[in-house]
Parts: sequence; structure tokens; C-alpha cells
Amino acid sequence: MNHHRAGRLLSAYVDSELTAAETRAVQEHLLDCAACRDAYENLRVARDLLAGLPPAEPPAAFWAAIRRPMMRPATAEGASGGWAGRMRAAWDSVVRLPWPGIAGRRPGLVLAGVLVALALAVLPLVKGTVDRLHATEIGVDLYVHDHAMQMGTAPLVDRAYVGLVAGDAELVLAGETPRPVGDIVR
Amino acid sequence: MRVAAKAMTAALVLLVAGAAIGAPFVPPAPPTQAAAVPPTPRAILKMALEAPRLIDYEGTKIITALRNGRMETVTVAESHKRPNLLRLEYLSPEDVAGRVIVDDGTTARHYEPALNMLFEDHSIQDGGAAAGLTLLTRNYDIVLLGTDEVIGRQAYVLSLTPHGTGVQRQLWVDRLTGTVLRAEDRDASRGLVLTTYFSRISFSLNLPEAYFRYRPPAGTRVVSLQTVAGGTQNPAQLQRQVGFPVLVPPALPEGYTFRGGAVSRFGSLVSAYLRYSDGGNIISFFEAPAGSIGWPTTGLPVRVQSQPGRFIDLGYFRVLIWEQRGLRITAVGTAPSETLMLVAGQLIAGREQVLVADVSRRTEADPATVRRLRSEGLTFPEIAKAFAISHALGTGIDTTVRFVHGSLSVTDLATQLKMRPDALRAAVRRAVDTASMTPALPASAPSGPPAGLPTP
Repeated sequence: MNHHRAGRLLSAYVDSELTAAETRAVQEHLLDCAACRDAYENLRVARDLLAGLPPAEPPAAFWAAIRRPMMRPATAEGASGGWAGRMRAAWDSVVRLPWPGIAGRRPGLVLAGVLVALALAVLPLVKGTVDRLHATEIGVDLYVHDHAMQMGTAPLVDRAYVGLVAGDAELVLAGETPRPVGDIVR
Repeated sequence: MRVAAKAMTAALVLLVAGAAIGAPFVPPAPPTQAAAVPPTPRAILKMALEAPRLIDYEGTKIITALRNGRMETVTVAESHKRPNLLRLEYLSPEDVAGRVIVDDGTTARHYEPALNMLFEDHSIQDGGAAAGLTLLTRNYDIVLLGTDEVIGRQAYVLSLTPHGTGVQRQLWVDRLTGTVLRAEDRDASRGLVLTTYFSRISFSLNLPEAYFRYRPPAGTRVVSLQTVAGGTQNPAQLQRQVGFPVLVPPALPEGYTFRGGAVSRFGSLVSAYLRYSDGGNIISFFEAPAGSIGWPTTGLPVRVQSQPGRFIDLGYFRVLIWEQRGLRITAVGTAPSETLMLVAGQLIAGREQVLVADVSRRTEADPATVRRLRSEGLTFPEIAKAFAISHALGTGIDTTVRFVHGSLSVTDLATQLKMRPDALRAAVRRAVDTASMTPALPASAPSGPPAGLPTP
């Protein structure tokens, strides 16, 4: 399994959602790849952190504050604003909640909220890193693929050879192992 | 007597016309012993370029190509139905056996049996014989070396040597059909890099169209890989689309001209793609923000004008990667490594404004026009050449640029100017000889390894 494909499967691996064969392949790749080991470690720590949090029930006032404006008959403003108006009213109610009071009474809930917000903020950074790793892996193959496809449009270039080069690059772009060098004739 | 001759000629014309109307294509007859004057190299090349549109065939092709430092042999069953249906079925080696590519002239479908995956991509067939012929005849020395026999068929042997750099090609063109039966591509420094030949071929089989439609097995995963957007854009249009500066090479080897630009997208990686061709070879430039793509782990570390770079020799293709002004630039082509290094060095030097002023002064052109032509992808020597020809012939600069690009042939321009093609060629040669081409790249590749490029 190559680096790009392993990177894509890491999250599912952490959550034990892979087939036995995929799990084995990812484990083998992790033994060889320091970058993927780091990414795996970060994902595992984040998962353990979130899993270790106690389940926290929101205060009754929280749901009541959300439900109230949603169930309220449409007012002149709400009717004109439709769902947008109702959502705005719901958001206003949440903002008006006694937050310092909740923090004092339910510190676990606040901590969970902060962690979720943190995870959401960090996710694009992690994704950006994975995308860059992916681009590193496929960069040259992508450009060779695009170049070969253009060579195909040049006159007198052998199409069977262009198909061979472009086809090999397509396998790498799809996350598969590059084809090894074939028969040696000299 | 004169009346009788005229009547005979008319009868012959009618006979030939009558036979041609509605009749299936009949390949031109081989020259008889009495008329053994060989056709011109240009006529043979034209015949080879037009053959796919006129001939059906099915055969077994052997490809031997340099790949990652070794020669690899691949066998493929190739079928073609005019004008643009192509089916390739790879037979060996084992890791490629069973791969099928079916191309209908618009879309190429590549099926990989080991993965049960189907890749859909743009067609791998050429866009037009006429445009190809214009650039090839302008930028290559085309010589008829003689005739030879390939799998029992008589073939003309043509040699195509670029005036600039790139692979030199030798073609064995079937005398009856124009089909290329054998081809050899030679690199100045490494010799033979690609050989293809038919070990068996049959013509006029009336292959069914259904053979060129591919229906993948049940459960096949279909992946669309049309990474490069269709159509073509100039660098200015590309820059607006990608949102980062697109750099245009100041100079390229002789004969290379801008053939189009496009956006290449794959996942989050967005690159501007500029394509330059001399008719037979292509140099591609891919430009992306440096932060969007990491440094490749393969290849040799090199220094391009003191900037770190990486050189990857894939065999037939060479790749040079470097960074400048926040961009990661990748050049791919068959050009020698030292040519790619020179092109990269001139891009890194970043003397755009100085060169605009210099070329404007030398050609007595408005700097704004020079800048506009740069934004349309022209190199500085091309701009200088276009102005020199424009001044000499009195043609408008846009018409002259079309002529320099090869989209306007000598014959077409000569017709427009009411000149003989030979006279036009001579006038263009005189104008170009007197023009100052700065900056310029060497016309032919030096034989030794480039300075600063470590050998493997």
C-alpha cells in the first residue's frame, strides 16, 4: 500500500472500520512510514481525548431556549423571514443563555464544547497537511500523466506508448502501487 | 489531333471521377517501375499524418522504451477504425497484461483488470494533421533515407531531426497505406529511447464499431481523471482563473511555440499548465503555489541558478522541479536535461521588465504590445521574430503571430500577400536572420552533462 492510500485510510483505521486485509496493509505501511505514524498518533490522541470525556447532559434551559422559538407560531417577522427568521430567533435565545452560570454548574459540558470547537478548527489544518502529503506523492505522476495525454495529441507520437505511460500514472493517481520496471532487454 | 487528345483527357477525367464517387477508399497504388520517382519527404509525411483518417488496421505492436534507467518491452494488440476509433489491449509483461484502452476520439477509457477499475480521460489521439504538418516541416529536417522492408511490406524510411532540441525520430511509412509500421526515437545523449514496430498487421478488415465501445464488468469502479480542463487559455486568462501569478518562459529551444494553456486540477492541487511544442516534441510547464505541494522524494537534487531543484529522469520523459517567487514549477519533456536547466535558469532570473524594454527597443515596438504578446504565451525570441517579419512583409502583428505559431501556413500567408511561397520563405528567412533574438537558447543540445547536474 502506498503512502497516499494509507493516509486516506488512517481515520477509518483508528475507528476500526477497515476490513481485515486493509487493516493489515495499513499496519504494514505504518511500520515503514514515519509521517503516517505521526498522523496516526495525532488522530488516536484526538479520538482518545474525545472518547474519554464524560457524557454531559445539557441543562434543561438549553433545549427549552432552542425549542421555544422553533415551535412558536410564525409572527409577522418570522413569516417574512421563514426558516431563516426562526433560526435567527433560536440563535438569539442561545446567545441570551446565562453562559457563566452554565460554566459554573456544568464545567464538563463547556470543556466538551471547547474541545469540539478546537477539533473543528484543527481539522482543516490536518486535512491541509494530508492534502500536501498527497500532492507530494502524486505531484510528479500527475504532471507526467497530463504531459503524456498532451503528447498523444501531437502528430506521429505512438498512441500505444502514450496509453502505457498515462495508464501507469493513472494507477498512482488512484492510490495504487506504481508498476514495477518490466523485462530488461539490455 | 488536338481535339482527339482533349476528348481522351475528358474521358479519362470522367472515368476517374466516376470510379471515385461512392467507391470505398482505395489506397494509392505503389509507384510503378516506369514512374519510379519517389515522392517528396513532405508528401510521405503528409501521407503518414492522414493515414489514420483513411485506413483501418489491426495488428500486434512491440514497444521497447527506456523506463527508469532500463529498457522495457511491452506487447500490445492495436486496432484502429477510421477516422478516430482506437482499441489497445496490452498483452505483456504480466503486470500490464489485460489493460484495455478504448478511445473514441473524445474520451479514452482505460480498464485495469487487476483492480476492476475504469479510468475515463481525454482522448489520446491527435487534433489535426494539417497543423502538425506545418510545424513539423518548419521545425524539422525531414529526409527520405530510402526504402526498407518491414514484416514483408515496402516502407519509406523518413528521418525527422529537430532544428532545436528534443528526440530525433525515424519512421518506416508503409508505401501502400501510409501507416507507420515502425518508429525509433533517439535522444542526443542516450541513443535509442523508444522503438515501436508492428510484428503483424492486417488492413481493411471492416472492424465492427462495437469492438471500440468498452463495457466494463459488473462492479467496476469508474474514476474520472480529466485533470486538465478542455479548451485552451493564454497565460493571462489562466492567471485570472488560478489566482496566482503565471510565469511565461523568456526563451525556449528553437521552434518551440506556445500551443495552449489550461488549469490542471487534482484534489486540492490546482496548477497552471503551459504547453510549448515544435510539432513533434512538447515541453510542459506546471506552476502551482509552493505551499500546495511538497518536495518530491525521488530524483536527484540540483541547483538551478543557486535555487534548489530536483531532476527526475523517467526514461523517455525528463522532469525538472524548482521553486521561485512562491511557486513550484515543474517542467516535463523529452528535451535534454541541460535545455530544461537553461530554461529554468532564465525563468528564475526574472528579468521580465528588462527584456520587455530591450525587445521593444530593438524591434521598435510599443512595450505594451510586447507585454500583451508575453501574456499570450510568446517567448521573447518569438516576439522579436514576429516584429521582424511584420516589418519586412508589412503584415499586422496578430497575423504575423499566427504565422509564427504555425496556425497560418506559408501557403496561406503567401496567398494573402499574393506572393509565391518560395519568395515568402526567402523574405521570412532574411527578416529572421537580421532580427536580434534575445535571450536565446542554444539551437542544438550540448553533448556533455549540464553544469550543476549530478550524474546518477
